[in-house]
Amino acid sequence: MLPRYRRSLLISLAFLGGLAALDLILFPAGQVGVILLSGLYQGMLFFLVAAGLSIVFGLLDVLNMAQGSFFMLGAYLGFAVYGALPEGTPVTWRFLAALVAATVGGGLLGALVERSLIRPLYARPIFQIVLTLGLATVANEIVRAIYGPAGLIPITPPAALDTTISVLGGRFETYRLFIIGMGATLMALTLLLLHRTRLGIIIRAGVEDREMVEALGVPIGRVFTLTFALGCAIAALGGITAAPYIGAYPAMGDAFLLNAIIVVVLGGMSSFEGTAVASILVGLARASAEQVSLEYLGSPLLATVSILLIMILVLLVRPSGLFGSETS
Amino acid sequence: MSGPMADSRRRGLWSPGALLAGLALLAAPFLVAGFLGEGATFRMAAAAMICAEGYTPFVGAALGTWLLLGMAVLGARRVAGANGPLTALRNHGARLWILYLLLITPFLLAWATDSSACIRGKAFFWQSVFIETFILAILAASYNLMFGFSGVLSFGHAAFFGLGAYGVGLLMKHAGMDLVPAMVITIVASAVLGLMVSGIALRVHGLYFAIFTLAMAEILHLLAANRIFVDLTGAEDGFTFAVPDWINAASNRMTFYYLSLGLLILTFAVIYRLIYSPSGRVLAAVRDNEQRAQMLGFNTFTYKTLAIVLAGALGTMAGILRGLLNKGASPNVLGVGFTVDPLLMTIIGGTGTFDGPIVGAFLLRLAEQLLRDTVVSLGPWQVNIGERWALLLGVLFIASVLIFPKGIIGSLRFRSKLSASREDETM
Amino acid sequence: MNVAPLLATRNLSRHFGGLRAVDGVDLHIHAGTLHAIIGPNGAGKTTLLNMLSGALKPTGGRILFQGQDITGQPPHRIAHLGISRSFQITNLFPTLSVLEHARLAAQALGSDNLRLWRDFRKFDTYLKRAWEALGHVGLEGQAHIPASMLPHGDQRRLELATLLAQDPAVMLLDEPTAGLSAEQVPAFVDIIRAIAEEGDKTIVLVEHNMGVVMTLAQRITVMHQGRILAEGPPREIAANEAVQQAYLGQLYGDFADALGEAS
Repeated sequence: MLPRYRRSLLISLAFLGGLAALDLILFPAGQVGVILLSGLYQGMLFFLVAAGLSIVFGLLDVLNMAQGSFFMLGAYLGFAVYGALPEGTPVTWRFLAALVAATVGGGLLGALVERSLIRPLYARPIFQIVLTLGLATVANEIVRAIYGPAGLIPITPPAALDTTISVLGGRFETYRLFIIGMGATLMALTLLLLHRTRLGIIIRAGVEDREMVEALGVPIGRVFTLTFALGCAIAALGGITAAPYIGAYPAMGDAFLLNAIIVVVLGGMSSFEGTAVASILVGLARASAEQVSLEYLGSPLLATVSILLIMILVLLVRPSGLFGSETS
Repeated sequence: MSGPMADSRRRGLWSPGALLAGLALLAAPFLVAGFLGEGATFRMAAAAMICAEGYTPFVGAALGTWLLLGMAVLGARRVAGANGPLTALRNHGARLWILYLLLITPFLLAWATDSSACIRGKAFFWQSVFIETFILAILAASYNLMFGFSGVLSFGHAAFFGLGAYGVGLLMKHAGMDLVPAMVITIVASAVLGLMVSGIALRVHGLYFAIFTLAMAEILHLLAANRIFVDLTGAEDGFTFAVPDWINAASNRMTFYYLSLGLLILTFAVIYRLIYSPSGRVLAAVRDNEQRAQMLGFNTFTYKTLAIVLAGALGTMAGILRGLLNKGASPNVLGVGFTVDPLLMTIIGGTGTFDGPIVGAFLLRLAEQLLRDTVVSLGPWQVNIGERWALLLGVLFIASVLIFPKGIIGSLRFRSKLSASREDETM
Repeated sequence: MNVAPLLATRNLSRHFGGLRAVDGVDLHIHAGTLHAIIGPNGAGKTTLLNMLSGALKPTGGRILFQGQDITGQPPHRIAHLGISRSFQITNLFPTLSVLEHARLAAQALGSDNLRLWRDFRKFDTYLKRAWEALGHVGLEGQAHIPASMLPHGDQRRLELATLLAQDPAVMLLDEPTAGLSAEQVPAFVDIIRAIAEEGDKTIVLVEHNMGVVMTLAQRITVMHQGRILAEGPPREIAANEAVQQAYLGQLYGDFADALGEAS
């Protein structure tokens, strides 16, 4: 492992340890467990949106400001499929169908978007970002036009996931544990993809040196489309996974987009591992900070503002983040 | 050598001398009516005439304005030389026509809707639509100065806009300030914010700068919406404040109309002069190729700061107008909407053109209002165009980025540029 | 030479991680001369030029101009000192016209840059200098064409005109004939020669085209793998065996031909 990596990893672990210790000091033992778990839950949600953002930025040099929209569209698509299945289909099947449909739909839509809208603007990177902003607006408006601004009634997940259990001294919803599990699984799967498959090697090589990969004769265009589609699929899956708990509404993507950007900046804009680590750190830090802020200020304001300020600090002092490469 | 040196005196119409002459001419009748002879009766008669329904006030205003503008153009002749008004008209002809129309719009509306321009009614309502459009045009023009003319991408322009509305409101309500001092201090605060943003973040790469501005605007948004400051800001609901009577849009809407139109013209003039100034030329170079500009000897940081501070100040001015118009401010003026909208207006209208952002603003607000109740059948669906306007604009935006990168104005200009090489446009 | 060099480097280095692009270079450029820097690809010529013009900060060593240490100065300050640079890869302002390039270059060194209100066309000095610069390279006819629409040969000339408009004491030319066809090169050489013959400019010329180098240079520095291999008048360099070895293959032929032409 590169010495820089090792250093960043140590910093992360130290931060983690410090956070846990701080929580144990500040809060009663029963609460700490819940705080840590809810931090993990938040972190996983951020990761689900940030993963695609990071990979796409690393390879295509595009900051996809519509990433939050794919998150949202995944939720809506999943809900639609859930409700469209014939009467009498058991909930578990509906739920699985929703998950699959959202992922596949998100991926296909992402591929379409990349080929038709992002690819032509390769020579004008500023306008690529600007276009994704427009996409986010359009997606928001289309959903409003079809479903109205209020949002949908959350679907019912399978019974096994619909309870609360006692964990680490407090009560925690099983569904949120499911979200944590889903996030962790995707983290592992993506890491596997990146490090153990041919596509993954190409992606990682492309992130490092795009011209070289092109020179080696790899059809970089197809890889771009696949990568973009992958990022969108993960976001969409994240959306449908989260929606039964947080609901589905047009603006759900926006809040998560900002947090995803924070995570990607902190972790290192083109580093997937950095994004994974940073999302957990940010989630845990947020959960703790929100608790502190609530107790002392009566609102989570301090937490949200602090996290933004930390991101600004990192942006200015070390734009490559925790795990990013020096040259970007 | 013909060309550049010969028409260096062409901007006569916009020279300070001509502007003063025109302003003096415009103000003269009011001075006469207000202060000389039968002062009060004159005033009342004038007011009755202006506020009457129907076409009489319109005809009077139309003729009067035509006369005054004509005199201003001719007055520019003296400063510009023989070349003056004709070439100026050629360059600004369309703009002068539109300016003329906008000057008589309140009366045009009164005539078209057969209502009064001064009391509640259809014409009155449409005046506020125009006012909102002017405010958005100023905001869009300010964004275009930063992004289109100088190449600085920002995702936090709403911060300046919201600062205007909140600043002037808070100062007037909680610090008991009068209108003008409140406005001045708010603009100064905006300049300070612009300097801070530039000083802190300009040295990082453009994308990181954009993310920085996003975060900064979001912090302000969170602060404004938060319950901790509810006594000051009213948190999510915002707050209202009292404005002086002469600028109260509920009763003196026409004054507000001409104020905002005047500020729009000022904004246009400031940007126009800046872009054609030596500093403006540097901004163009910085936008095109920053590194090369540095190699030529320009400290690009200085010029980008200039663009950001000026764009911020103009955006704040738009925000002030917005606050005064609504007599209040709420967190959504600091929201992402007021960053995406100027970007949208700029790109659809034409990045890096003078008229583009204004056209964009008209499309965003005015056209939306006009089409509010137009319903179109697309197959099995009934589509209310006005309600779905944001969607249409979004699609138009994407189309602009992809197919018409020069926007509406830019594409028109380009076509005419190819047919007749106009020296002043290729700089 | 007893006269102190106008532009000199002392043990100048630039390392990129493990790669030593420029390694301990001692360069002496004397006022009024046309000094060429040649070398195979990767020799470090462009990196050297980047450091001299301030685009890149050295990792070691010093740069001296008129006896003053200018190491690490940012590019915009170096331009004000009288050192201007042209680029090998087209590095122009795509939307600006030919005339505007030269005019801006002239304006850059003036004191009117922070005037926000007066029309830029009223500042005649810069326009005059711009037209003169365009005249030197023969681009007056294309004055109002945007740079992005120029054919490659004219873009190279525009690079030169932009430089000339600043009336620099030292001109750093980075492969000015790059990409030009064989027919276009002699005209370009004439332009540079005319400037050199005016006598008051110092020209540092990085070139691959040996014919151009042999015709124009009064002194040649040969670089190889970041270091100076040899330095001297053209004839000496052409006869230098170490230089010939460094330039194995194709360029050897160029040397012989060029030597034949120059004699």
